[in-house]
Formats: sequence, C-alpha cells, structure tokens
Amino acid sequence: MTTSPERQDQPFVFPSRRRKEQRYPEPPLGPSEAGAPVRASSLWRDAWYRYIRNRGAVIAGAVFVLLVAYCLVWPLVSPYDPYEVDFSQASEGPSPGHPFGTDQFGRDLFTRTALGGRVSIGIGFAATLVILAIGVTYGSIAGFLGGVTDNVLMRFLDALYGLPYLPFAIIVLAIFGGGSFWTMVIALSIASWFTTARIVRGQVITLKENDYVRAAYAVGAKRSRILLRHLLPNTLGVLVIAVFLELPGVILGEAFLSFIGLGISPPDASWGSMAQDGYRAYRVSPHIIIVPSVAIATLILCANFIADGLRDALDPRTRET
Amino acid sequence: MTRLIVRRVLWTVPVILLVIFFTFVLMRQIEGNPFRTSERAIPESIQRNLEEKYGLDDPWWVQYARYVRNVATFDLGPSLVLRNRDVNDIVREHFPPSLELGALAMLFALVFGIPLGLYAALRANKLGDYTAMVVANVGFAVPSFLVATLLIYFFAVRWGDVFDFPTSGWTTWQSKVLPVIALGIGPMAYFARLTRGSVLETLQQDYVRTARAKGLRQRRIVAVHVLRNSLIPVVTAAGPILGFLITGSFVIEQIFAIPGIGRYYVTAVTARDYSVVMALTVLLAIIVIVANMVVDILYGILDPRTREARS
Repeated sequence: MTTSPERQDQPFVFPSRRRKEQRYPEPPLGPSEAGAPVRASSLWRDAWYRYIRNRGAVIAGAVFVLLVAYCLVWPLVSPYDPYEVDFSQASEGPSPGHPFGTDQFGRDLFTRTALGGRVSIGIGFAATLVILAIGVTYGSIAGFLGGVTDNVLMRFLDALYGLPYLPFAIIVLAIFGGGSFWTMVIALSIASWFTTARIVRGQVITLKENDYVRAAYAVGAKRSRILLRHLLPNTLGVLVIAVFLELPGVILGEAFLSFIGLGISPPDASWGSMAQDGYRAYRVSPHIIIVPSVAIATLILCANFIADGLRDALDPRTRET
Repeated sequence: MTRLIVRRVLWTVPVILLVIFFTFVLMRQIEGNPFRTSERAIPESIQRNLEEKYGLDDPWWVQYARYVRNVATFDLGPSLVLRNRDVNDIVREHFPPSLELGALAMLFALVFGIPLGLYAALRANKLGDYTAMVVANVGFAVPSFLVATLLIYFFAVRWGDVFDFPTSGWTTWQSKVLPVIALGIGPMAYFARLTRGSVLETLQQDYVRTARAKGLRQRRIVAVHVLRNSLIPVVTAAGPILGFLITGSFVIEQIFAIPGIGRYYVTAVTARDYSVVMALTVLLAIIVIVANMVVDILYGILDPRTREARS
C-alpha cells in the first residue's frame, strides 16, 4: 500500500484521535457558499454542521426541546387539575389514565410534573441568565482593563470561591423570608457566577491580542466601542456553552433546597418539592419520588451532552479537555 | 517551592477575613431577632438587656471586629437560642459526622471513579468505554436524594433481611455504607469523566509514544507515564469537590437522619440563631478555602511547570 502525498505531510496521529476527527468533517462547501454574502455567519454555520454530526448532542437537544415543550404545553391541555385533591385515587401506580400515576393526594403526576418542570426549568434559566449577566460584566471588565484592576478583581474572586454554595443560598433565602420563584433565582445565582466570570475574562484577554482589535485602536475607536462591538460579541460562543454548563448546577440547587423544605412550598410544585412529597411515601409508593427525580436527571443529562456538543462545535481547539 | 507554599498559606488569611465579612453582612440582612419573637412577650427593658449582653446593640464594625477576634481564638460564643449551650459544643457534636461522611464519600469517589475513567479511556470508543461512560453520565445526572431513597428502599427495606443496612443513623459501619454511596456517586461519576478525558489526552503525548517505541509494556506505560500525568486535572477538581461534599451533604444528612452540620444548619437559620449560623458558615468556608489551598500546593508539586512560572 502506498501512502498518498497529503498523508505524508500530516503529523502522526494516534488511531483513537483520528477516528474522533473523522466524526467532525468539514462542512460542505455547497453552492450557497459561492455567493459568500455574510462572512460573519459562517462561524455559526460551521458550528451548526459540526453540532448536527454529533449524534449524542443532537438526541440530547431533541429530548431537551421535547421536555421543555411538554412542560409548557401539557398543563394547558391536560384533562386533570394539577391542584385538585382526590383521595379516592391517591398513590396509584402508572396506568393508562395516569401515565406516571398519582401522588398521595390523588393528583395526576403527569400533569404535576409538567407544572413542576415549568418552575424548575424557569428558575434554572432565569438564574443562569443572572449568572451570565454578572459574570460577563465582571469578567469583561477584569479582562479588558487588565493590570491592577484585573489583579484586584481576580483576587477578590478567589476569595469568593471560598463561599460555600448551599449555606449561602440558604442565608439569602432567609433574608428574603422564604422560597418563591424570584428569591430562589437570587439565592441560586448569587454564589455561582464566579466560574462564568473567569471564563469570560480569559476569553476577553485572548481576544484582546487579536489584530482586528489593534486595527480598531489604530483607526481611533473608543475603548467602550472596542469592548462592546469587537470583544463581547466574540465571547458569545463561550456564553452559549456556559448556559448549559451552569444550568445543571442551578436545577440541582433548586431541587436540593426545595427537598429540604426551604424552596418552593406546596401546593405549588417544582421538581424538588415533588421529590420531597415523594420521599415521605417512598416505602409504599416509590414512583412518586422517582418521577420528578428522573425528570431532573433527564434534563441534566441532556444539558451535559448539549454543552459537550456545543463545545466541540464552537471551540474545536478545546476538545477533550 | 517553600516560598510558593508560604505565600499560598498566608493568602488564606485575607480570604478568610473577607468571607467572614460577607457572612456577617448577609446575616445582618436577615429580618427578625431571636429575642423579639411574637409568641413570647418579653418586656422591652429585658429585651434591651439581652441584646446588650450578646452585644447586638453595638455598631456593626465593633461586632465584626469582636467576631474576628473570637474566631481567631476559637471562641465561637454562646448560642442565642439554646440557652446554656456554646457554639463550640454544637460544633464539637455535629461536625465530626459531617466531616467523616464527606471524607468517606470522597474516598469512595476517588477509589471507584479514577479506575472507571482509566478503564474507559484505555478502551476508547469500544463497548467497555460506552458502558462506563453511560454509568458515569447517569451517575452524574441523578440527584442524590433519588440515589439515597432507592438505596434505602432496596437495601434497607425491601431486601432488609439479606443486607441488614439500617435506614438511618450514624453509629455502626453498616449505617455509614448507604449514605457514603449516595453522597459519593455523583463525584465518582465526575472523576470518571475527568480521568477519561485526561488519560485520552496524555496518551497522545510524545513521551508516551517514546515509551511505546522503547518497547515498554502497556501496564508499565499506563502506571508510570500515563496515570501520574493524567491525575493533575483530577487533583485540581478534588479540592472544590471535597468542599462540596462536606458542605453540601444537607440532603443526605436529612434523609439518613445523620446528626451532622447540614441538618443543624437549616434549623439554626430558621430559628435566627445568628451566632450558630455565623460560626457554621465560617467553618464551612474555612474548609473550602483550606481544601483549595491544599490543591494549589499539590498542583505545584505535581506539575513543576507551574512552579517555575510563578517563581
């Protein structure tokens, strides 16, 4: 067997690595490319091609969308009232009428899981957005200004890393006098924006060295313009990944707080408070705790796979790290 | 190296002060007062005397300075709610179970997680890899309260005659098995994923190729060249995880009725027992800070490159 000429030029790659790279071939240069209208969109299109070639990430994305759609839509069309107590059919196992069974108050779990999902996922996304907002502001200021400011801000962040997450969330909940949607959002985001801030800072520092930034300075652009126009838009890829990296932690945090009775309280449902209900009855009807827990697990599993897929798609250099 | 260690150890002092300050500021925002509850009508003058006794009427910076001084001398003050009990007593009573639970769960996670990840990496993209990674991904996603409940349901209730694990408590070794597994399974999965990724990367390094070219056996290559170098990211992650395990066992402690800090913490917050909450939070923070410090130092020892870069 003779080796092809381009094969010789390539550095030696171990077979395991080679197979990996074959999984993400270059996007096809179709006729649409010929016109080459907008260069800016091609990064996202390349990323899209790389993403849809990753089977695990695509399945995870589809399940994620389905789960969110189910939570949003099902309570509107469900034949059952999620709050109506009916002890004549309490703690029933799964049946055709109640696919997930009923809880100890006879409420349909399929409907209540959707309702709880609205709250859990809602808190998850809201807290993630707050985390991103704080993290981007803090991280970009530190990275962009550099020097002493950066040093002070980062040492301060190091100190904040010492804050124990759940105890602080509990104190914050106590300050606001208990768990509701927005107090949970604040409690969960206040002690978890540090990682995002670090990521953004790192990204801004790397981007700052680019020639186009120097060019922008050369033509006399203001610093605020360079930050807002040239640097921050380029951190978008990292931020999209960060959403799905932060989401699992926040959703679990909500579940833990509600489980120990400090979060969302009955009769309102979240997956955590439903799990707490289920825990009280696990000996006779374990399905009541299994249903919301599996919902949490599914969501977190999907978020992890989506994050991995997005990282491979948007930032091929950091693959496998 | 010594300089690095000394600097790193000294650095924890301002960090701890800052964390105490944060906790202090936050605690002052909580409404309510342990002495001004509605159900017990205490005359105004007595209330004022009580507040004076515990120093609650001083300006905040006086309280803060006093608190820092007390923490430095390990005098955490009296409990505000449980009369005649010192916070020191409470810590002495509730801290050891939490510490033991966290440490055992950490051990469990490392002992099972690293081999699992190594195994997966060595059979990359084969059936063994996929099985191990399914286990790791699921273990990472399932909330610990479900793991705990299922463990109790099967190993203590349903098949209780066979296994004889108690459903709660923290006394005999049997009572510790289930909580440790329930708490450790998430970090175990995390370590497995981390190890796999790191080993896969190390396998591509030139020195591994050199070792192969020398004709070393696979076993020796893995043990000497791959594993040691792959464990650096695991060590880095271990610090925050250890902190998380010791501070984040609230749920597990509640489910297994373990008399640890987590369970007591929630009670103390609801009762507005400032001194206890302050003390426990600061203690938990110090654990996290020290764990991070140990990791940074270990990192310097394991990876000489960071040492040179810093000095």
